[in-house]
Amino acid sequence: MPTGDYDSKPSWADQVEEEGDDDKCITSELLKDLPLSGGLKETPLSADLSADLSADVELLKGGPLPSPKELINGNIKTITEYREEEDGRKVKIIRTFRIETRKASKAVARRKNWKKFGNSEFDAPGPNVATTTVSDDVFMTFITSKEDLNCQEEEDPMNKLKGQKIVSCRICKGDHWTTRCPYKDTLGPMQKELAEQLGLSTGEKEKLPGEPEPVQAQQSKTGKYIPPSLRDGATRRGESMQPNRRADDNATIRVTNLSEDTRETDLQELFRPFGSISRIYLAKDKATGQSKGFAFISFHRREDAARAIAGVSGFGYDHLILNVEWAKPSTN
Amino acid sequence: MKPILLQGHERSITQIKYNREGDLLFTVAKDPIVNVWYSINGERLGTYTGHTGAVWCVDADWDTRHVLTGSADNSCRLWDCETGKQLALVKTNSAVRTCGFDFGGNIIMFSTDKQMGYQCIVNFFDLRDSSQLENDEPYMKIPCHDSKITSAVWGPLGEFIIAGHENGELNQFSAKSGELLINVKEHTKQINDIQTSRDMTMFITASKDNTAKLFDSTTLEHQKSFRTERPVNSAALSPIFDHVVLGGGQEAMDVTTTSTRIGKFEARFFHLGFEEEFGRIKGHFGPINSVAFHPDGKSYSSGGEDGYVRIHYFDPQYFEFEFEA
Repeated sequence: MPTGDYDSKPSWADQVEEEGDDDKCITSELLKDLPLSGGLKETPLSADLSADLSADVELLKGGPLPSPKELINGNIKTITEYREEEDGRKVKIIRTFRIETRKASKAVARRKNWKKFGNSEFDAPGPNVATTTVSDDVFMTFITSKEDLNCQEEEDPMNKLKGQKIVSCRICKGDHWTTRCPYKDTLGPMQKELAEQLGLSTGEKEKLPGEPEPVQAQQSKTGKYIPPSLRDGATRRGESMQPNRRADDNATIRVTNLSEDTRETDLQELFRPFGSISRIYLAKDKATGQSKGFAFISFHRREDAARAIAGVSGFGYDHLILNVEWAKPSTN
Repeated sequence: MKPILLQGHERSITQIKYNREGDLLFTVAKDPIVNVWYSINGERLGTYTGHTGAVWCVDADWDTRHVLTGSADNSCRLWDCETGKQLALVKTNSAVRTCGFDFGGNIIMFSTDKQMGYQCIVNFFDLRDSSQLENDEPYMKIPCHDSKITSAVWGPLGEFIIAGHENGELNQFSAKSGELLINVKEHTKQINDIQTSRDMTMFITASKDNTAKLFDSTTLEHQKSFRTERPVNSAALSPIFDHVVLGGGQEAMDVTTTSTRIGKFEARFFHLGFEEEFGRIKGHFGPINSVAFHPDGKSYSSGGEDGYVRIHYFDPQYFEFEFEA
């Protein structure tokens, strides 16, 4: 049984009750989060309400802010305080405490009733927010031996993968991302490869249109006027533009996501390796003459166009990644 | 868990200590303030004011009547725990680095730094003889010529003290005769902290050589080692589990040149028997200088170079956790 004078001492927040011979009940305020309203909530007053307040202040001749209120509802204590910020904004602070009663030994219960001293002498009952705050949630990160084992297991498959190529560059087929390719802006190796692939076919193709040229040159050298009816191809009589265009459409690709600075010559340079180009149309802004970001490239042969799609689609050009696909036949 | 953050100090924490029941937490820092807090809700009970320099050590006796503090202002002071009144002041020639009550609370021990031409001395006073403190006449003085004492605790039954030295040596000095009983050197660098287990049969040392080691109190036999990759500033033994918490981080002088992410300022939990780490708790912005387990084992506190003390109440996961060997 207690014999000290602590029972008669006026207590601030703690109620000491007799609980058997050895145990005591101590009540203390815990600065903890509550699901209802949160531990520490700052609610700025709404505009019209703060106007009302300031009106009150005027009436009260610069009177103070509303005095702090303390409300105890069951085991929840709410303290409402008002504070004026530096910028004149009035802030309402609601602090919620949970009052907990715990059993403790007599000595501990007695100590809980001690008067505060030193720098805390004038502190109100309960934790002073100047010295005691609740920190952000932290969690213990567990390191289990199992996890360590997993890590080791994970390492092994990684070693296995080391021999294999995970990343393959679209340009040079190297072991790196396409964007990291040293030939990124040159298309060099792809062109080489293409040339090897095509090998003879390209050579032949280039020769074929080359052969008739000397003939034409010879013809033109004479300086003689040749009427259209006698010119090469004159025999293809009645051949209209229509089927030709359709053939063009079949071998036309649409390139999008071009940069504004793209010129026709750039496109020519880019697509020439895939085969002979019959037409390049780069959409340009009428006023500024800048590219609108898309172009149509017509090849003579559909295979060349297909190769161009396979080769250039997704290719990084300037700072953009090109999108190449079959052009849809125009509606008109 | 939501740690309770105690902001009672302006400078880095040097030591934190619970009283025997664990309801009070004493914190000292490199500022002259000695704080005492209710560990349950982080409410500050008061401050013991009087010191004029950094306070290196604090201790409370078994019934939490008296508090002992040692400071770099060349004094060791005895306080009344309840009122904060200074009961006694012992002036020394150099800074007081470690202090402690024996288990009975009647005999106090404190050690002074090797500094300003003065050597490191362990002083013993008997509080029952009031003339000893008044006349500054310790009943026993143990001089340490080689390496200064950087941490010291009382052994079981008040028979001896265990002192950790700057060079990594551990010495056991008799509290009766003052003679050196056992000397071992398991650490290669300064021993920053020594804490005993609840029953005082074992103690753990924290050293600058990146390890913490467990020893038998009476024989100073080395039992276990806990290795980390940073200096260990403090280590504490859980009173209920076979767990050890280590606090550390790189040295204070290197803190500004490393980020908190790679600074490794977490408290690290090791299994006592398997010497393996099983958990970490983050939170401090600087190295942890002192850790302490609550005597009920359900919470622990840490004080850091950042000047904050954090009280952590463990989540249920900690108690459910089972170490898989």
